[in-house]
Amino acid sequence: MSMQHLADVEVYTARSLREALELLSTGTRLKVVAGGTDLIVQLKSGALPKADLLDISRIDELRYIRFEDGVLRIGALTTFMEIYRSDLVRRHAPILSEAAFTVGSFQIMNKGTIGGNIVNASPAADSLPPLYALDAEIVIAGPRGERVVGIKDFYKGYKRLDLREDELVVEVRIKPPGDGYVGHFFKHGLRRGDAIAVVNGAVLIDLGDDGTVRDARIALGAVAPTVVRSPGAESLLIGSRLTKDVMRRAAEAVLKDISPIDDIRGSAAYRRELSVNYVFMTLYRIAREAGVSA
Amino acid sequence: MREFRFYLNRKETVVKAPPAYTLLETLRYVLRLTGTKEGCARGDCGECTVLLDGVPVHACLTLTSQVEGRSVVTIEGIERDHRLIKAFVEEGAVQCGHCTPGIVVAAYHLLREVPRPSEEEVREALRGNLCRCTGYVKIVRAVVKAAGE
Repeated sequence: MSMQHLADVEVYTARSLREALELLSTGTRLKVVAGGTDLIVQLKSGALPKADLLDISRIDELRYIRFEDGVLRIGALTTFMEIYRSDLVRRHAPILSEAAFTVGSFQIMNKGTIGGNIVNASPAADSLPPLYALDAEIVIAGPRGERVVGIKDFYKGYKRLDLREDELVVEVRIKPPGDGYVGHFFKHGLRRGDAIAVVNGAVLIDLGDDGTVRDARIALGAVAPTVVRSPGAESLLIGSRLTKDVMRRAAEAVLKDISPIDDIRGSAAYRRELSVNYVFMTLYRIAREAGVSA
Repeated sequence: MREFRFYLNRKETVVKAPPAYTLLETLRYVLRLTGTKEGCARGDCGECTVLLDGVPVHACLTLTSQVEGRSVVTIEGIERDHRLIKAFVEEGAVQCGHCTPGIVVAAYHLLREVPRPSEEEVREALRGNLCRCTGYVKIVRAVVKAAGE
């Protein structure tokens, strides 16, 4: 892949959210850059047309992790290293904590932001299956104020977002589903240390005291134009016990909810097989950790 | 071309560069500091690892305008007689040498955060640094050895 220099690209640096929104509202077509871990590669490789940049990485007011009134709030510019190291995230959204650690190398985790991961909108983005499983909300700021969109409504198709050019994603909100929920993030990459997922996902299960599944949330990435939940697998699990047979049938049920393609990282057939196997293995792990005999 | 002011290896530095030049391009082609290597130039190999405000990042994924007012430490900012560099020499942790600067910078940061890392912690901290010669054994050994000194 040949890389070009960006010598002719202008960079505007916003120091506050207000300044960033003002610059976006001038009608100049600016590409927003934060950590740059995806965008700079795309610009240099020519995958994206060259455009002048609005650098928002210095807007410190968008870098925070708070837990208020039962809601975990993560500022859009919070890095994956900050998310991974956060006790609040580990306590209230452990599957997001697990995903943050696998996003990339420490170098990537130190720069890549959760807002960037959301807006870059790769179907393989590691933060997205946890956010889908947690029914996260995306807070968007624009010239007319703030609005809040559920994560599933935010993505309208492959890289198509409910986000206008004069708006910015400013926060992710997660309402922790409750103490009974246990779950894990999973990822299959071609290299453990620093890789884009071939398939990734998050499984979140609410187990009753008698071992019956009260709620199940299964989200998969890199197997459809957007991250998807698997209603087929979820409904199969709810009301059942985590027996090997139930887990196997639930894992196979994800096939009806995904539509993978062949690409450089793997074939569609390989992704289908990985999806079934990883969902099964993750359910099995959850059952074992919960002390439910599988 | 714009003028940027930042701390490079603890010295206040002014550089004239296009704002969207990557820090890697500015270091190598404008400032002629060629210790920081270019491998993949897309954040996969870790060869261009530098410390930005004290934490390891890829210089190839950092815009020059993004370092304005901040601190950058490159391999040239690490003392020549640093125990890490000695340990790399003693353990034979260098073959072609292309990955070495990035690995030393990443390991330098690790030892500041975790003075006595386990082998596993060393491997985790260096998981973003590719070496195509050594198989990593001697590199990991060198970092563990430097930590013990």
